[in-house]
Amino acid sequence: MELLDRYLEAVKKHLPWQRQDDIIAELRANLEAQLEDKEAALSRPLTARECEDWLKQLGSPLQMAAHYNPQQYLIGPSVFPIYLIVLKISLSWSLIVCLIVSGVEILTRAPSLVGVVEILLRLPGVLMTAAAWVTLIFAILEVAVKHNYIQLPPEVVPTGAWSPGSLPPLGMNAVQGKNARTFSKTVAEAIFGFLFLVWLLLIPNYPWMWLGPGAAFLDIGRGSGAPFQLAPVWVQFYWCMVALSVWQLAWRCLELYRGTWQKAQPAPNLVMKAIGLIPLILLLTVHDHVFVQLSHPALDQVRYGATVDIINKSIFWSFLGILVIAVMQMAWDLGRMGLTAWRKRLAAQ
Amino acid sequence: MTVAENLFENLRLELRRGCLTLAVLAQLRQEYYGYTLRKALADRGLEIDESTLYPLLRRLETQGLLASEWREEEKRNKRFYRLSSDGELMFTKLLEEWQAINASIDATIDSNR
Repeated sequence: MELLDRYLEAVKKHLPWQRQDDIIAELRANLEAQLEDKEAALSRPLTARECEDWLKQLGSPLQMAAHYNPQQYLIGPSVFPIYLIVLKISLSWSLIVCLIVSGVEILTRAPSLVGVVEILLRLPGVLMTAAAWVTLIFAILEVAVKHNYIQLPPEVVPTGAWSPGSLPPLGMNAVQGKNARTFSKTVAEAIFGFLFLVWLLLIPNYPWMWLGPGAAFLDIGRGSGAPFQLAPVWVQFYWCMVALSVWQLAWRCLELYRGTWQKAQPAPNLVMKAIGLIPLILLLTVHDHVFVQLSHPALDQVRYGATVDIINKSIFWSFLGILVIAVMQMAWDLGRMGLTAWRKRLAAQ
Repeated sequence: MTVAENLFENLRLELRRGCLTLAVLAQLRQEYYGYTLRKALADRGLEIDESTLYPLLRRLETQGLLASEWREEEKRNKRFYRLSSDGELMFTKLLEEWQAINASIDATIDSNR
């Protein structure tokens, strides 16, 4: 029958070449015997339509051939768990690095929406490249493991030998519930918060406590004749820091008084962190990034002008770096908070 | 196909997969070629698709559980299969395992009635 021959020819194309003739000969014998049985039952040859229906039942040539091939995979079950872990780590780090670079680029370029969109559109490409490299490396690893060129350590092989003794110990958080804090830790936070506040309040009278020997180069409103002086923005920054420290100290004391230090409070902590960004933003938005200026510009511009520029740029970039890290940490906390809330909602359903 | 039907179909196929091997080994204590084996199993109520059975025979032969030979029958060359000596041992072990699982499931169902 012509249709059967065409079917078998199509199956053959998808079979491994070493075995295709043998498989097709056997398949032909079986299918022809089946066809004869069908025709004998009907006492007539199958019509073209009936033959089509019958071949349809057998499945497409590709499907039929696929059953004869061994199970194929790019990354097998022994390597896959470790692949997944490495992929997650690689993607997370690629995302972090890409966000930092993008953030710096956005802040340093002339602000334009097109520029920002262009930078952000690079992100999927970077992530896909990272994923492709990890996949390629693990596909090569799979081939090497399959052919016994290398052996995976028993800890990463699902069926490999491992010792329960090698399991990591439970952390304090796991024992007492997530984000649980001890009494001693809260007391220590309150004590160090108080000491920090004292230190902060002493700075205006004892600037060396902040700048060390560098304080000798600063004219802090006493006519010392030092060549540099702080820009007015530091006064606002200072009082913001004092207010924040007082608030944090009050918060810790309140927790101790109420006995609520063990309670995980992700939302208030996040708000506290967000408010903590205000002094940084205050500094970074200062006009022309002037943090230190000359006490006597007319006299010292030639001598110290370049030095002041370097100091101002260094301060700007340092605080920008701190802001980027703080924002990323907040985004991470926010993500974890969202994930916890989502899990709780799922569990409640 | 609804989600429930799809799930049932997947679970059914999973359940059948191991049983089919056992049934084929059991049937091949006598010699058959592909099509007559399929008919014999169907006569006992176990329908197997051609695309499942014929490749399965090849796999079992590669694993050393079946022996095969090409032979002419009714003017056509056919490949006949039967259980090898390794296949007989394997069949005995698998049958014991299957009977034990069956007994456990029966006992579990009875205890929950």
